[in-house]
Parts: sequence; C-alpha cells; structure tokens
Amino acid sequence: MPFVAIAYLIFLAAPVLLLFVGSFGEVWSGTLLPSGFTWRWYQEVAGDPSFRRAFTTSLKIVATTCILNILIGLPLAYAIHAGARGGVRLAARIVTLMPIAVPELVLAFGFILVFSSDALPWLGSFWLLAAGHLVLTLPYTVTALVADMDQLGLAEYEHAAATLGASFPARMWDVTLPQLHTSLLSCMLTVAALSIGEFQLSNLVSGFLSRTYPVVLLQAFYGATGFACAATVVLLGLAMIASLTSGLTARVTGRRKVGADA
Amino acid sequence: MTLRYDQVSYSYPGTSTGVFDIALEIGRGELLAIIGASGSGKSTILKLLAGFLKPDTGRILIDGKDVGASLPEARRLGVVFQNYALFPHMRLWENIAYPLKVRGIAKQARRARAIEMLGRVGMGKRAEDYPAELSGGQQQRVALARALVFEPQGLLLDEPLSALDAGLRLEMRDEILRVQRQAGIATLLVTHDQEEALSIADKVVMMRDGRIVQIGTPRELYETPADASVAAFVGQSNLWSGSVSGDGMVTTPIGALACDTHGKSLGTKVTVFVRPERVEPITGPVDASNPCCFAGSMSADRYLGPVRRIDMAVAGGAIRLETHLRGPITGVTIPHDAIRLLPPTS
Repeated sequence: MPFVAIAYLIFLAAPVLLLFVGSFGEVWSGTLLPSGFTWRWYQEVAGDPSFRRAFTTSLKIVATTCILNILIGLPLAYAIHAGARGGVRLAARIVTLMPIAVPELVLAFGFILVFSSDALPWLGSFWLLAAGHLVLTLPYTVTALVADMDQLGLAEYEHAAATLGASFPARMWDVTLPQLHTSLLSCMLTVAALSIGEFQLSNLVSGFLSRTYPVVLLQAFYGATGFACAATVVLLGLAMIASLTSGLTARVTGRRKVGADA
Repeated sequence: MTLRYDQVSYSYPGTSTGVFDIALEIGRGELLAIIGASGSGKSTILKLLAGFLKPDTGRILIDGKDVGASLPEARRLGVVFQNYALFPHMRLWENIAYPLKVRGIAKQARRARAIEMLGRVGMGKRAEDYPAELSGGQQQRVALARALVFEPQGLLLDEPLSALDAGLRLEMRDEILRVQRQAGIATLLVTHDQEEALSIADKVVMMRDGRIVQIGTPRELYETPADASVAAFVGQSNLWSGSVSGDGMVTTPIGALACDTHGKSLGTKVTVFVRPERVEPITGPVDASNPCCFAGSMSADRYLGPVRRIDMAVAGGAIRLETHLRGPITGVTIPHDAIRLLPPTS
C-alpha cells in the first residue's frame, strides 16, 4: 500500500517537478529531461515588460477580487443566513450558485455582448475584469460562509448579544465577525487560488493592458521550452504567495479582533 | 420590576402554531416556571418577552411599560440560553463585561465588575480563561453572571440545565435559585423538567398546544392538577376513566372506589386521579370486604433507591404505587382522601 501511495503522489507532483526542472534546463528538446543549468529563463521572464505588467495586474486583480468578495459576499451570505427563509433562501442560493453551473466561456461571451456596446464600452478595463473574477468566485464565498454561519449557530450568539444591550453594528463587530474570521480566511484562500489561475474569462474580457498572468503565459508556450517552464513556475509561486498573503492577512485581522478589549 | 403578559397571542407565519391568550404576571423577586411538552409554546413565551418575536395581539409590559415593539437590546432583560451562548472568542471576564462595554463603562471599571461577578458564582480565579476551557456547569455559572451583571429588569432562563448531567443539574438548580434570590429579580424559567420547575419555582405554568392549562404554586399543580394532562406531566399518577355511581362512589375499570364526589350527579364522567405515593401497600392478607382494598400481583418493581415504584396488576387494570417497603406486596389500599376527580379526557 505505501508503494501505491508514493506512486500516486509522484504521479500528481511529476508535472510540477518537471516544470521546475525544465525552468533551469539550458536545452530541452526530444529528451526525457533537460540538459545543462541556467538562470537565463527567469531573467528573460523578469525582463519581459508584458510579463511584468501581467504579474502586477494579476496581483491587483486577486487583491481586488478578495476585497470585493468580503464587501459583497459577507453581507450577502449574512442576509441569506439571517433573513431568507424557505423558498426565498433556496432561490438566493441557486442564483448565487449559477456562475458555478454556467461555463466560464458563456459568462465571458455575456460580458462581451453587454460591455462592448456603445452604452457600456467597458470591455478590456481592469474593473470589468475584476467584476468577472468576482462573479466567478462569489458563489464559493457565499456558500462557504452561509454553511459556516449555520454551523456556528450565530443566531443564538446574536440573540445573546442583543439581550445584553448590543446594537446591530456592535453585534456584527464584536460577535459575528470575530467568529467568522476562520471562515473568511479559508474563503480568501479559495478565492485567491481561483482568481490567480483563471484563464478562460480573463482571456476574453481583459484588454491589452489589463491581461492577467495566465493570459500572457499562453504566449510563452510558443517560444522556448525553458522560458515557458520558468513563466509557469512564476505563476505557481504567484498562486502560493497570493494564497498565503490573503490567508495571513485574514488570520492577523482575526487575531487582532480576538485580542481586542471586551 | 414586574413582567406581564396581557392577553398575548402569536402565531408563527404560515402556521397555526404559536401561543394564544397568554396572561401572566411575574412579580419582583418571583420565579415563575413554564413547563410543557415539546411544541407546547413555552419557548415562544420566552422569545416574546425577550423581544425575539413580536406579539400579534396583546401587550407585553415591563414594570408597566408596553415593550411589545421594542428591540431586545432596549428591554434590559438578562437571558441565559440553553447552550449558554458564551462568546467563544472572548475571555470569561470579557464575556461578563460585554454588556457593560456596550453601555460605555470604562475598561477598568467593567473588568473589576466582571471579576466581582465571577467571584459571586465561584469562578473568580478563571477570569482569563476562554469558555471552551470550562465544563458545562462552569459555563452555566458564567452565563448567569453575564445575564445579571448589568442589573437587568428581569431574568429569563431558557432550559438552563438541560445540557448538564443529572448530578450537576441538582447543584446548579440550587445555585440559580441562590443567585436569583440574591438579585431579587423577576425571573421566567422555561423547562421541560417538571421536577426542576417544582423544586425552585414560586409559581408554575403548565402549557399545552400554545395555551395555559394551569397556573399555580408547585403544590397546587402537583396535588390539584386541573386535568389529566397536568396530572400526567407533573409527577407520576394513576389515571382511570370512570363515572359517578352514587354519592361518594365512582366506578372505574379496577372497581368501585369510595371518594368525595363533590355533589356530582349520577353518571357524570370523570377521570379518577391518585398519586402513587398515596397508594398504601398491603403485605399480608387482603380484606376483600373493603372496597378500597385490591388484591394483586406485582407486574413491575423498579428500585429507585429510597423508594420502589411498583405496578400492581389487579382485576381490570393496574395500580402504580411508591413505597419504602422492601418485601413482597400482596395488594394495595387506595384511601378515599387520596382520590381526586378530574374532568374526563376527550
């Protein structure tokens, strides 16, 4: 059994490992593994203005998507949790889950149709791209938060806080949000991971100056193999950094709130 | 401070369940317990007073002021929830100080007050702990301290002991009573445990299908229940359908019984009610000529420590009794003054 497990892990990790090896290989053509060692591909990726711009754009899109998810997803989830009952609750859940069921391409075509008109000529803008990422990631945030709110039994804590004299804003700030910090952390990890690797919608909706890293990365595969590997490893690193950063931010925020004076 | 329900009715949206025509008053320092089966409406009554639900009709008055439209935070009522609802991310002193914080009390003052309250419930040394570090009973004490720290106008206890094990429940029952008496505060206790209600309440309300069936002292509910449902819910009871067969006589499935029929006319349908501890055991020969004596055999014998609860199979049915006797029992006597006649069950 351990042999099977190890073989499975190797199978899963092999593509990533090969990318990593390939990014340092001088020549990789027609062989199982590359030959030689070089930093050249990373230097070329770092020196390429379009990759640099895409890298920055992706970071901005991830940060914006995370912030919008908190600003919109948290109140939406709370409204579903606290206010919606029966059919309304079901309808709200279905509407929020729609973007998961609908293929990203369909969503992207919808964006193109609506936002390439003269009335709404925003196709290619940074904010439209962020809105697209928000639509794609919001269902994950809302679903996870509503489930956690139900599981935590927030209603009773809020009732308790109300009877102790806390107004609605005080209850939200002192009781509800601190208990949701772990949920928010995991939601932001998911959102960051989804947003950083998103390609289909970004490829169709982004403009030349707002292309995200995965969109630009596609071009790398038309060039040298080492360059493509190095550019992909950067995306992997970017995904990890984005996830860790958002996670740490949420954790620090949670700790700070937990440690606040009563 | 008094708490009063003035003909309050409430129905849950889209259903016919709720509470109807509730009229209750809890005086200063008084502890009123509401008992009833699940779904009888007892928790709804508490939610209406706490402000979680708004009455459809009627008024809820706190010290004479109608608070029916007020939000929970404006009512100044301390509530202890079934699962305590201590804020898990706050230390114990922070939990207790929270109502003082929202009232703008300075940090040092509220911390001192919180620690004093913790001391009053025997938790003074645990101020820096988190709720998850406490046992159920300890959490209960903290919840009680938190509900009382801001000197509320009333105290509402929602099944406060149901999550505790039996031994701790007895201890906490006394603790709640002690703290409540010390605070001298009008208190509403909702519980499904009739023993808990009888042991600490000044008055007990029995609910069924959203309506009050009986209000009275614990003794009144136990000894003179309004009907068979109250008799069956509050303690153990023998209940037989019967009818008045003569002056001072009723006929039941187990035979004729001599009792005070209170002038009821011949043939009146009744429910005959006898508490098991009022049934007297016979260990020797049974006097067949005495209409209050019944020969039988033990069909169930439950050892409960200080007493035995025995079901005697007799001609026409069974009689339950509780006795301190340890030996075999050959029959029972039902004294005429142990028998009460209740309305017939529909």
